[in-house]
Amino acid sequence: MNRRRDNMTNEKHINLMDDEVTSNLVVEDQIARNITELLNDRAQQLKPQQEQRLSAARGLAIDYLAEQQAQLASGNRVSQNGNALRWFGQHLEQHRVTSVALILAVMLLTFFAVQHLSLNNNLENSDAFLLASDLPPEAYADKGFNAWLDSN
Amino acid sequence: MATPKELSDFLVAVERRAFKQTVYAVRDDHAALDIVQDAMMKLAEKYGNHPASEFPMLFQRILQNTMRDFWRRQKVRNLWTTLLSSFGGNDADGEERDPLETIDVEDDSDEPSAVLARNQTIQLIERALEKLPARQRQAFVLRYWEEMDVAETAEIMGCSDGSVKTHCSRAVHALALELKKQGLDKLGLSNAIFDKNSSIKKGD
Repeated sequence: MNRRRDNMTNEKHINLMDDEVTSNLVVEDQIARNITELLNDRAQQLKPQQEQRLSAARGLAIDYLAEQQAQLASGNRVSQNGNALRWFGQHLEQHRVTSVALILAVMLLTFFAVQHLSLNNNLENSDAFLLASDLPPEAYADKGFNAWLDSN
Repeated sequence: MATPKELSDFLVAVERRAFKQTVYAVRDDHAALDIVQDAMMKLAEKYGNHPASEFPMLFQRILQNTMRDFWRRQKVRNLWTTLLSSFGGNDADGEERDPLETIDVEDDSDEPSAVLARNQTIQLIERALEKLPARQRQAFVLRYWEEMDVAETAEIMGCSDGSVKTHCSRAVHALALELKKQGLDKLGLSNAIFDKNSSIKKGD
């Protein structure tokens, strides 16, 4: 019985705390709204030169966007190739690190492929030469061979 | 992709608030105008191809970052100024500046007394806002003035939702207390929270 009464008291206490937190939040919110209302009033009372400066800044930003969009639109009309190149250019611009790594990887791969092919080619050439030759390879290592060849 | 008209409408709607918000943060009108202009250009340059619905969030993030850059540069400049000034003395002409010359006095003599009182109230609020710690001011401005929700504010500030709530709550309490100190508890907005504050303090 006592335990139940304690539980009920605790619940009431928690409810009261919740109410207090909620009312605190409402009050905070109300104060904040009133303050921002006054700040909004203030923001409407800028000096003429500040207004002009903001207007000029806005104009610059809008002109930039309009120009960008006009360029994009004219680029779209040029050709499909142009589009692909622009896409590639934009891709490079946006993913610089990835693009540089990709280009380096392709260069390295090409280098090793060329090296590998040229080595194979050299081996093939020397094998073909030896096989096609009349003389055995030991003859070229013999020191007296050249003298014998001259005397005959 | 947003059209130039959509960008223009968005900037018209936010530019004044953005400017005032920046002034409260950097306390320099000219620097604030530069920062807002930079933010506008960056929005057009980097995010012009985004839908207009994303502009509020993107613009606020850019603005906050541009302010942060300004503070960083300012810190470096101040360091050098301190270092260099230790070598020199007063101004070159030997005259000390009169601080009264730099105070911007507005002529409200023609205004009705009610408008004057309101302006004074706003000035007090602005001063109180400037006194707030940077994070509290940022949270207050984004959450209440820019009317962003907690999650958006947290994303822009780079912190958790809980931190935003804490910063906002502290900012409102600090502003209310500051206004009370200035005798503005009859503004019709702060009595309730003063009562709460005093009861909280008593509870401590």
